[in-house]
Amino acid sequence: MTTPCSGAVAPTTQKTALLVASGGEVDELLTNVLASEGWSIQRIVDNQHILALARAKPFDLIVTGRETRVAEDVELLRKIRGARPHVRLIILTDKFTPGDVISAMREGAFSYFSAPFEASELAEMVRAAMAEPCWDDGIEVLSGTPEWVTLTARCDLATADRLVQFLHGVRDPSIPEAEKDHVIFAFKEILINAMEHGGHFDPSQHVEISFIRARRAIACRVKDPGEGFSLEELRHAAAGSSPNDLFSHARVRDARGMRPGGFGILLAKKLVDELIYNEKGNEVVLVKYLDPPESPII
Amino acid sequence: MGLQISTRESGDVTILDLRGRSTIDGGESELLSYQLQKLVASGVRKLLLNLADLTQVDSSGVSIIVGTYVSLKRQGGDLGLLRPSGRVLEVLTVVHLIDVIPSFQDEAEALASFRPRGYSASS
Repeated sequence: MTTPCSGAVAPTTQKTALLVASGGEVDELLTNVLASEGWSIQRIVDNQHILALARAKPFDLIVTGRETRVAEDVELLRKIRGARPHVRLIILTDKFTPGDVISAMREGAFSYFSAPFEASELAEMVRAAMAEPCWDDGIEVLSGTPEWVTLTARCDLATADRLVQFLHGVRDPSIPEAEKDHVIFAFKEILINAMEHGGHFDPSQHVEISFIRARRAIACRVKDPGEGFSLEELRHAAAGSSPNDLFSHARVRDARGMRPGGFGILLAKKLVDELIYNEKGNEVVLVKYLDPPESPII
Repeated sequence: MGLQISTRESGDVTILDLRGRSTIDGGESELLSYQLQKLVASGVRKLLLNLADLTQVDSSGVSIIVGTYVSLKRQGGDLGLLRPSGRVLEVLTVVHLIDVIPSFQDEAEALASFRPRGYSASS
């Protein structure tokens, strides 16, 4: 791994972005977001000349066009990173397969948006790319197949956001979007808990994560670097509140002068089918069962 | 779009119109927490959160709403929710917040709920 801040850009230099045309709302949105922050923007009509331009001149951000396949974007990214290892490249695509997210993460894409996506989410990610002083190696894929991916994520919120956006980019037609949204929501809650309580948002610490796609279930495993905890001790978390007094934990926190919190585990528990902790309490597995596909009528 | 908060008053009720999202990501929940703490510290005891244009909430946003509700109740105040919908309503329902904190679809009805029992506009 490189040092966490090796990609930092000097704050006094004008930042530059290379945008490949996607058309309509996306182009307008990117222009507005970048221009409002004083970025210099260079536009090109397709991916063909990105490599030559990126080799000739450093860009702080590159956003690909939606028309190319992800495999081509990833290959392009690999070549650019050979010359510009800290470049932030966001992949936009209308042409993808479920496994493309893994290769995009593995090659170090900053983010990944597969259609359809919310323009406002893209705007937020571009702002994050503009603001984030160091991002390299925040996510490292250790092993990856379409059924089982293991990776590490640095303990900071920006890395959590990037990882969650990669998950939103997975478009598997066999997983209903509503079910996927619940899993991602629950996963994000558990991930942030792990980064905060296990890793103390210390960027030198990492959380280990696995995603497993079985025929009738999705499972996520999150292991944090901390000392663990016992659910029984969590009087200050909603998961430890009495069923007859849902806010008893909030009064405990209020009395102890703790900041509001404690709903992450409860929310995650409600949104997936199983939430299983190991004995130490620093490792958790989320499981969401999927309905079997409908059998064809014979 | 982050979170935009605007504040208005109706009698002794302070109404916060929330627009955007209240999640931990970009510090939006922190901003909401700061605004609510400031209001409570300044003596506000009756708060109505207008959630009609709130698009997302996570555990950090839920926690701040609950923390404010508990704090206001302890000090003899009250908090209500106005027009939660979509994903926000789903989250508030999942954690049973909607069963405990009064929630309204109509602003006039919400404001009326803050009045002491037996009060009428003509009295």
